[in-house]
Amino acid sequence: MNQTNPARPGGSPILPDVQRLLDAELSLHSRLGYVALLLGSLAMAVLAGALWLTEPALPFRTQVAFALMIVIGLSWAVFSVWVLRHRRVLYARQHIVAGRMAVAFTSVFVVSALAVGYGSGKDGAYAAAALGGVMLMGAVLMLLRGHRAFNRLAERRDGLARELGRST
Amino acid sequence: MTDNSAPGLEAREDEWLAVRCQLGERAAFDELVARWHEPLWRYVRRVTAEDEAAREVLQDVWVRVIRGIVRLREGSKLRPWLFGIARRALMDRLRERYATPAAVPLHDFDLAADQDPSALEEDLASMQQGLEELPVTEREVLTLFYLRELSLAEVAEVLGVPAGTVKSRLFRARQMLRRDMDTKGRPV
Repeated sequence: MNQTNPARPGGSPILPDVQRLLDAELSLHSRLGYVALLLGSLAMAVLAGALWLTEPALPFRTQVAFALMIVIGLSWAVFSVWVLRHRRVLYARQHIVAGRMAVAFTSVFVVSALAVGYGSGKDGAYAAAALGGVMLMGAVLMLLRGHRAFNRLAERRDGLARELGRST
Repeated sequence: MTDNSAPGLEAREDEWLAVRCQLGERAAFDELVARWHEPLWRYVRRVTAEDEAAREVLQDVWVRVIRGIVRLREGSKLRPWLFGIARRALMDRLRERYATPAAVPLHDFDLAADQDPSALEEDLASMQQGLEELPVTEREVLTLFYLRELSLAEVAEVLGVPAGTVKSRLFRARQMLRRDMDTKGRPV
């Protein structure tokens, strides 16, 4: 049988450094910042793509500009996803917050695109709304998955707390 | 069936802590650090045998833990997972230092070993200097076992070798330590 040593916070000379590290690594603001960057960059790529696809006879330079905007938007999106998976990982609670942000943002995007389309009659706005609709579905799926993961973990936590006689 | 044995209880305590971290509870991370900082420090410090190097490695370990705990599938295996991360951080450090992985003596030695490794603890308490003079493989296995946070099976899991190999390494390490003590006139 193993002996379990009691916790001895402060026993090591670097514990304050670790506490600072925790503060920095667990910062909610930086995580949500990357979620916002992901949503914004995807929206930019979708808008540029919708306009490029629906505007007839665009000059070559304009097409290059749209292509560049799409590449830039997708690059930022890929970067944000990488950071959220490896550097500022989302814990179960934060997955739900990020999911709600995504649903709210994409809903506003779709409604705005539809309003612009209705007001101006531009096909590009309707195309952007359609692509936004796809993003909205992805956001809803992400939110549902986040809730399922959270509920599973919370249920396990509560079960273990009961077994161990701890409060949750 | 409920397992009321101490190892079962420890596994559930570990899982409770891991699950709360995966949920994103800040207090759980504080508890994780309070509970495991010292054992990890002792392991890393003994293997590196240098304060400064141990500090850097342990910082790296905590970064990896914070970023990786969401991917821990079995919370009950928290302690071998933590020490496994510490070991990988140590090996990365050694690779950097020696520039080539071949210079790190992590080969297996499957010597016969029937000796009960738990007899080491008392000896080790008075052998700190001798311990620091051992090669990394032997120092590591003695340190992991000496910490008494891990069972033999968990030490094997951390090192990625069968339990028999852990026993062999413990046996060999103790022999080396004994020779070292005899040479220098220290009691074993």
